[in-house]
Amino acid sequence: MKAPWFEYQAPRTLEEALETLRNAGEDGRVLSGGQSLMPMLNMRIAAPTHLVDINRIDALNHLTVESDTLRLGALVRHADVLRSKNIREGWSLLAEATTQIAHIAIRNRGTVCGSISHNDPAAEHPGVLAAYDGTVVIASTEGTREVSAEEFSDGMMSTILEPGEMVTEVRYPRPAPGAGQAFVEYARRLGDFAIAGVAAILEVRNGTCERARLTIIGMGDGPFRAAGAEDILTGETLDASTSAEIFAAASAKVMDEVDPAEDIHASSGYRRHLAGVLTKRALATALARTGGM
Amino acid sequence: MRFSNEKIVGKSVLPDEAIPLLEGEGRFINDISFSGMYHVAFLRSQYAHARLVSVDTEAARAMPGVIKVMTGAELAGKVEPFRSMPNRFSGGESVQHWLAVDKVRFCGEAICAVVAEDRATAEDAVDLIEVDYDPLPVVTKAREGEKDDAPRIHEECANNHLIKREYERGEVDEAFANAHAVVERSFHIGRKQAMCLEGRGCVAAFRQGSFKLSVWMSHQLPYVVRHYLAKHLKLTETDVRVIAAQTGGGFGQKASIYPEEFLCSYLALQLRRPIKWVEDRLENMVASTHARENDVELKIAFDKDGHILALDSDIWADVGAYSTYLWSAGMEPLQIAGLMPGPYKVPAMRYVTRGVATNKTPVGPYRAVGRPTASTSLELLLDDAARQLGMDPVELRKRNLITADLMPYRNANNLLHDHVNYEACLDLSAAKANYQKLREEQESAAPNGRLRGIGVACFAELTGLGTSTAVGPGTLLQPGRDAVTLRLETSGALTIAAALPSQGQRIATAMCQVAADELGMKLEDVNCVTNDTAMAPYGFGTFASRTAVFGSGAVIKAAQELRERLLALGAHLLETPKEELGIVDSAIQTLDRTKSISLANLAEQSFFSAKHIPDELNQGFEITSFYDPKFGSFAAGAHTVVVDVDPETGDVEIVRYVAVEDVGRVINPAVVEGQIIGGIAQGIGEALLEELIYDEEGQPRTVTLADYLVPSSMEIPKIELHHANTPSGAIGGFKGCGEGSIIGAVGAIACAINDALSRKGGDLQAFPATPERVLRALNVEMRDA
Amino acid sequence: MARDQTITCKVNGRTYEKSVPVRQSLADFLRDTLSLTGTHLGCEHGVCGACTVSLNGRSVRSCLTLAVQADETDIVTIEGLRSESGEWHQIQKSFHENFGLQCGYCTPGFLITAIELLEENPDPTENEVREALSGNICRCSGYSAIVTAVMAAARDMRELQKK
Repeated sequence: MKAPWFEYQAPRTLEEALETLRNAGEDGRVLSGGQSLMPMLNMRIAAPTHLVDINRIDALNHLTVESDTLRLGALVRHADVLRSKNIREGWSLLAEATTQIAHIAIRNRGTVCGSISHNDPAAEHPGVLAAYDGTVVIASTEGTREVSAEEFSDGMMSTILEPGEMVTEVRYPRPAPGAGQAFVEYARRLGDFAIAGVAAILEVRNGTCERARLTIIGMGDGPFRAAGAEDILTGETLDASTSAEIFAAASAKVMDEVDPAEDIHASSGYRRHLAGVLTKRALATALARTGGM
Repeated sequence: MRFSNEKIVGKSVLPDEAIPLLEGEGRFINDISFSGMYHVAFLRSQYAHARLVSVDTEAARAMPGVIKVMTGAELAGKVEPFRSMPNRFSGGESVQHWLAVDKVRFCGEAICAVVAEDRATAEDAVDLIEVDYDPLPVVTKAREGEKDDAPRIHEECANNHLIKREYERGEVDEAFANAHAVVERSFHIGRKQAMCLEGRGCVAAFRQGSFKLSVWMSHQLPYVVRHYLAKHLKLTETDVRVIAAQTGGGFGQKASIYPEEFLCSYLALQLRRPIKWVEDRLENMVASTHARENDVELKIAFDKDGHILALDSDIWADVGAYSTYLWSAGMEPLQIAGLMPGPYKVPAMRYVTRGVATNKTPVGPYRAVGRPTASTSLELLLDDAARQLGMDPVELRKRNLITADLMPYRNANNLLHDHVNYEACLDLSAAKANYQKLREEQESAAPNGRLRGIGVACFAELTGLGTSTAVGPGTLLQPGRDAVTLRLETSGALTIAAALPSQGQRIATAMCQVAADELGMKLEDVNCVTNDTAMAPYGFGTFASRTAVFGSGAVIKAAQELRERLLALGAHLLETPKEELGIVDSAIQTLDRTKSISLANLAEQSFFSAKHIPDELNQGFEITSFYDPKFGSFAAGAHTVVVDVDPETGDVEIVRYVAVEDVGRVINPAVVEGQIIGGIAQGIGEALLEELIYDEEGQPRTVTLADYLVPSSMEIPKIELHHANTPSGAIGGFKGCGEGSIIGAVGAIACAINDALSRKGGDLQAFPATPERVLRALNVEMRDA
Repeated sequence: MARDQTITCKVNGRTYEKSVPVRQSLADFLRDTLSLTGTHLGCEHGVCGACTVSLNGRSVRSCLTLAVQADETDIVTIEGLRSESGEWHQIQKSFHENFGLQCGYCTPGFLITAIELLEENPDPTENEVREALSGNICRCSGYSAIVTAVMAAARDMRELQKK
């Protein structure tokens, strides 16, 4: 299990990196945390001819909050997310999801932007970004463009990134004050890719759900935005007497909407069932966490 | 006179064996290198069953850094392929070439070997080899594979039966006809593998030292390897030295003989260079033996008081593409069937068992071969019977256990039970778990709508098998005699030499403890080598929970003789009658300690200044003793497990684990505890997580550690371990403790899960208990796409 | 483009300048070039944790890091745990005294992971220890003795701190 040959460059500036990436064209790959790419190289599943290592570009290492937006540069590691008080307090769903990503040594290297670029349907970050209505910042030598998380995903392990482009930053708008956030997943072992997971954000004012965001991971084509279930929740009164029934309806809708694939870990039927169960649990937890509106 | 020494046996002595490992200096196979060493990578079959139309190695041969590309066609006729070990219950024969010739029979079978200056280059060259396959129909399930119209994997093997045996003893039909109740069930357990953290591997060197061929190997049986290397490479044994390097886990997977290491040895002789091959994880998942994958149909007849009258079983073991070399395809099918009765009185039994060839990786020995399947299917059925008879499951078991007052007791499978107390294990397990209270609280205890289940499983585990009890039933290979050499060095230190390598079991430490007690020596004066055919007397090696029994027994036998020789010379040197002397603290002394000579002094004199010592007192202080316990010793246990099942996700959580074990007289308690808990952890994996999955084309789907799920520290709960030990009949009273606990673990967890599911009318028949299988057992509706 | 690049890094306190193939993993560099074979390869795809080393104070999988990426870094492996006077690190002592290893193949990764945990959290609960170690597979022990060893090391290190 030794990696095949490739050309390797480790530029110090973004400009240099984009230049190198452009020259490499179709066969170029960005190496950030390497926690997905390196296994594929060692197994010779991937064989890019050029690796552009961005780990030496200090300018991509920012974790900041500006005008209620959390900005994570391409070198922000999962471990950085877990150490951030800002994230724990304002974007608790992101923190909660990150605790379930792999294990310490992987979290020390793996990056949020890398996970989002890889777009594994079972990975946490793409679904979490979509739940926040987040934005992906894409750069190339031609300039930068910003797309929504949902536009960014282009199916199973595929994104709209063109050759020569890379993700330089992801942005998470701050949820409305008092919004309840929850991330629930089910994996066979702690740290494994989830069989299914649900990210839920509920904005409830005076007992009424004003806005609901619900994304499901593990369903096959990248993060799944449960729009139909969100519609069911929006405008409803959510209290102790009503919520169970409404969440059950949202859960049923999710099960109708998702189109999961089967693999060795689960059939599509089990995934669909789990999406429903976890939807109820995530919504109940999110509701319990609402307040202060 | 025998002085009372401070007893070292029974103490948790810190093992010196651990020190190099803690300092990063363990020297595993991949850590051994020689100058001029070449590296090997294999091209492996992408098809489960195919004819090899052509193998084009031209581009690979032309690559800079490549030394040689070996194909099956080139090798054919130069070495003897592996033929099934003859087995008196044998079905057809399988012939396994070291590199495939004409045909491949499983994904991962080696087709070509590339020798290159480094491993990465060898892998580059493998990628350049082009193979044209002509796919053949595949067999992926044992019960399909034995049908008359199934594709044949080996021409000489009808119905793909590499083995088939029928057995009957006692009046089985009569028992079923007169039974008060008959219970039956189907049981399936998936395919798994040992998943040693270190894969296999070897360094084979030409003319290293005084040997023509020296092979360092990650292996459990160095002498057996030496014998067969010599045979297959047409060398004499003295040409060959085999050293079991520091080994990163064995569990039986490193007890078979495989093509790769033998091929590397051949290449070392041909190329006159050291050759290294280290199995990487992708190879290990398909090229090292798998285990389990069994189907059982089991039926038991009971009388009205819940006594077993007869047992009738039908067994299919999917043994993969070849009969594993040495052990044969009989391991799983024969042991499942033959050991089915476990610790219970079974007056009559009948079975039909088969090892069916399939287009998958061959199945070989792995921790507790066959017994988890046998025990779990039986234990599940005992719970069914308890429900049907309205009896408590523990009470039902108590009524059927072979009790101490009946021993020696010969069961219907012809095994003799003695020196073991099954009932004491069960009683202690129930008491420590507070079983009655667990049952009383079962309804109310589980949180959030979860289903609580309680499982109790008893097992009997035959360990330390002598020549009269087969490890490999029916095969030519009947291990049961091992030797130990004790040698007093000229410095007065004692060396123990045995071919009983450790894969972490601290065997050397155990033998040192036993020898120190027997000889009255300080522990620090006793040393042990266990891994080198150049230094050790004959021995079969480490497997089948035998090593503590054989090693300690042989040490005691040799020590008794050595002690006599030492005392005789001591008497002469101290001018004191031998009867007044003993050995204490590595010195020969009189009881009042007024006269004393250290063993160091004695040893030095006996070799360097022997002029005044009579010859008959100076015959050397090196004794080799063989030990054969003839029969095995039953170890035993009873595990009580409490699980909570989430009926919405199918998740199973182990909330309590109580294990009681009878492992005989204990040499090093902390080491024994590690063996038992380690076995339980692998049992938890087997019951809940681990499964090697193949698709219908025979393609392996679980080829990485992200797909094949072994338990982490989060999946293994705290294990409450207690002992109910009964000394064995073997010398020293020792029993093996390496395997038993995995049997109890799978059984008790399976019973606990079905106890939980039964509360909602569910019943699980296929394991591991994946969450999806659990939900399907509860008849939860799931809509596929 | 050159297949080899020169890197400078500090390993166990000693500075090395070496030419490395760009495709070589940090694990192979440590093992084959520096002969520090105490770091083991168990899967080469980042799951088993046996190859875990400390890189700039953080645990990383050396099988998923390239040697070229170690340029200008400070690395500690199992061989570097002893003090300058040769004394064992508390975690080594504790693993020994609590029988925290059997075959020992996973041990280098567990030691490095445990040290990082105890630096961040000197007084962990048993569950925190289990969670921190969950990325390291041990096939022999069932983890019980390892968890005990880490808890004991934490206790001993806190005691030493007080003195």
